[in-house]
Amino acid sequence: MRLLSRVAERLYWMARYLERAEDTARVTQAYTHLVLDIPMGTELGWDALVRILDGQPVFEQSYRAYNEQNVLSFVITDEDNFGSIRQSIKSARENVRTTRDVLPAEVWEHVNELYLYAQETAEKSVGRRHRHQFLDQVISRCQVISGLVITTMTRDDTYRFMALGHMVERADMTTRIIDVGAGALMQQDRHNPTIDPLVWSSLLQSLSAMSAYRRKVGPIPEAAPVVDFLFKEATLPRSLSFCLNGLRAELSQLSHHKPALKELERARRRLSRLNPENVSWEELHRFIDRIQLDINALSDSVAETWFLPRQEP
Amino acid sequence: MEKSWKSYDSGPFYDELITPAGRPRVAARRAVNLLQGLGGEEMAARRAAAELAIREMGISFTIYSEGKNIDRSWPFDIIPRVIPGKEWDLVSEGLNQRTRALNAFINDIYNKQRILKDKVVPADIVLDSTNYKPQCAGISPRYGAWAHICGTDLVRDKDGKFYVLEDNLRVPSGVSYMVENREITKRILPELFENYSIRPVDDYPAQLYTMLASLSPREHKRPCIVVLTPGIYNSAYFEHAFLAQGMGAELVEGSDLFVDDDDCLYMRTVGGPERVDVVYRRIDDEFIDPEAFRSDSILGVPGIMRAWKKGNVAIANAPGSGVADDKVVYAFVPDMIRYYLKEEPKLASVKTWLCMDPKHRDYVLANLDKLVVKPANESGGYGIMVGPRATKATRAKFAKLIEENPRNYIAQPTLALSTAPTYLEDSVEPRHLDLRPFILSGKNVWVTPGGLTRVALVKGSLVVNSSQGGGSKDTWIVEGSQ
Repeated sequence: MRLLSRVAERLYWMARYLERAEDTARVTQAYTHLVLDIPMGTELGWDALVRILDGQPVFEQSYRAYNEQNVLSFVITDEDNFGSIRQSIKSARENVRTTRDVLPAEVWEHVNELYLYAQETAEKSVGRRHRHQFLDQVISRCQVISGLVITTMTRDDTYRFMALGHMVERADMTTRIIDVGAGALMQQDRHNPTIDPLVWSSLLQSLSAMSAYRRKVGPIPEAAPVVDFLFKEATLPRSLSFCLNGLRAELSQLSHHKPALKELERARRRLSRLNPENVSWEELHRFIDRIQLDINALSDSVAETWFLPRQEP
Repeated sequence: MEKSWKSYDSGPFYDELITPAGRPRVAARRAVNLLQGLGGEEMAARRAAAELAIREMGISFTIYSEGKNIDRSWPFDIIPRVIPGKEWDLVSEGLNQRTRALNAFINDIYNKQRILKDKVVPADIVLDSTNYKPQCAGISPRYGAWAHICGTDLVRDKDGKFYVLEDNLRVPSGVSYMVENREITKRILPELFENYSIRPVDDYPAQLYTMLASLSPREHKRPCIVVLTPGIYNSAYFEHAFLAQGMGAELVEGSDLFVDDDDCLYMRTVGGPERVDVVYRRIDDEFIDPEAFRSDSILGVPGIMRAWKKGNVAIANAPGSGVADDKVVYAFVPDMIRYYLKEEPKLASVKTWLCMDPKHRDYVLANLDKLVVKPANESGGYGIMVGPRATKATRAKFAKLIEENPRNYIAQPTLALSTAPTYLEDSVEPRHLDLRPFILSGKNVWVTPGGLTRVALVKGSLVVNSSQGGGSKDTWIVEGSQ
């Protein structure tokens, strides 16, 4: 099966955007729950959510205050924010529109429906009343599309570049979700026995990993074991370790994979050196920044090896 | 609703489904009876279902308006058009014959030019045309086929007879809507299909694949076929993707392809360059190769003409095919049929006055209020004047245009286009329509059963183009007497 470089590129980005929409919905969901749960007097700032998504510069172009209304508008529906849920879905659709000839027909239909849904409802889902339902819908509709891809597509390069896109984005977003915890706790005192478990359980829930954690680790979510679980648990599909291993498995089946694998190994080595038991929140935050750079370098290497050469102007 | 069926009157026009006495035509009887029995509410529900299906299937086309691209849902009327199989077979034979003659003509023009030397067609109207591409001279594609995909527009006049209105030999579009219209009707009016034997249209992509594969320069079990699109902002992008997917071919843009030092065409894949055998191009001649045509084109592939001339790749439609897609040349098609095939034309053409001929021109200028005036090589219904409906000022403008550039204008009588019952708001009313069948020419010639019916949704309007407010209908070729 042949695959055009341009198509590979668009499939990769379609998968990244879909994953980004889903994971942004997950982070937003988790953060909203956290805010609701946290006792009066220890309020979390909404700015943390924008920071996690690296959105400050764009945010500050359009908004002054980091209040709930502004931040949620920015994350859910803002058309100037390339990473907003609505824009991610729109970009995913543009990429499917140009690759639908290599995808099962239903993929286009579902992505198109998701797009229409987001266009119609994103705006009015900023407030708390409809937010939960919207985020839930986005997550489950993205899951339907992923399910369709996983259960109907032949395992060839077409599938492989989508898998790469999903896992690169998911790896990146998982580190960001952990950063929510680190960020929230950095604002607090080193240890706050009432807040800690709330933070960590909401993070686990955002990755649908709460029950797995309970069975594998124990009933009470605590900082170090949760971080260790989300980073290093090789059997958890949304852990960083799982994503990096998955990337390695897909990459090694592509021809000319050497440069990309080299970047990947750098990230894997960095992860293996991490010991969550004895890092401070600041150190954890710096680690997350670095591993995000590794993931970026991997993405650049994928583009350089397999996608269309950049056109000279 | 029921009332509008009862009072349905197409006036002086031939109606596709209803006789002048107000009864359904034989082939359409069951369908009309069933639709009449549905009632207003049910019809509205079916139309809503069709609109939903179109939205969800993402059937769209793009129109350009004030610098913006607007993606519009495909306009579809749920009442099908029904044509008896026996009648269609004759039309189909006529289309087959016409397309063979057109291909013989193009091949002749770029080679021996016998028809010009024998003065059957005046040489200057062909060789001075912007559609004649000297870059193509001396080339003889496989099977002598140039216009591999031809979309011929047919209309019925008030006598009920089909006439050829024009041949689209460059990059005709609309075939995907023909296929999708049937798909929609199956979804929303499944009961209509009971007791009917309707010729299927969904094998078009397979027929297209077979034809394109027959052009491959390499003997291959599965030649490498690509559909070359100008990209997502083209009005027919939906169709390009639809056809590529239907054929299992690659949908490519110019930047995906390159011609190497061996004068072969390659595409860039994740596994490295791969040789391409057949290009179904959906971009115009002028943009296809910046080396040979417009040097500022970024849509095309530098060197593709070189690869084609060397016989290393097949291009469909062949560059230069547009030489026969000219409303002046149109007037000579019956002569071509006699000249190349030694047969009489089986399909009628519309009487055409050529403004370049002084006698014709005088007639046209004196009768502007009765005639339709068309520029010789525009498509999409642009630049046309329908005399009886034009204002005095418009007629004066066209008179001036004709006198300034007579070669560029032809005139035809205003045809009384046939009508069919069309479901609008909450009533059924007659609306004018045409029909675009598609003819594939490679090793063999094949004609679609039916084609794309386009309908003018505005009362009395004769303009059916989707870019100008036209809709479409599912077109049925039905077997036997019902």
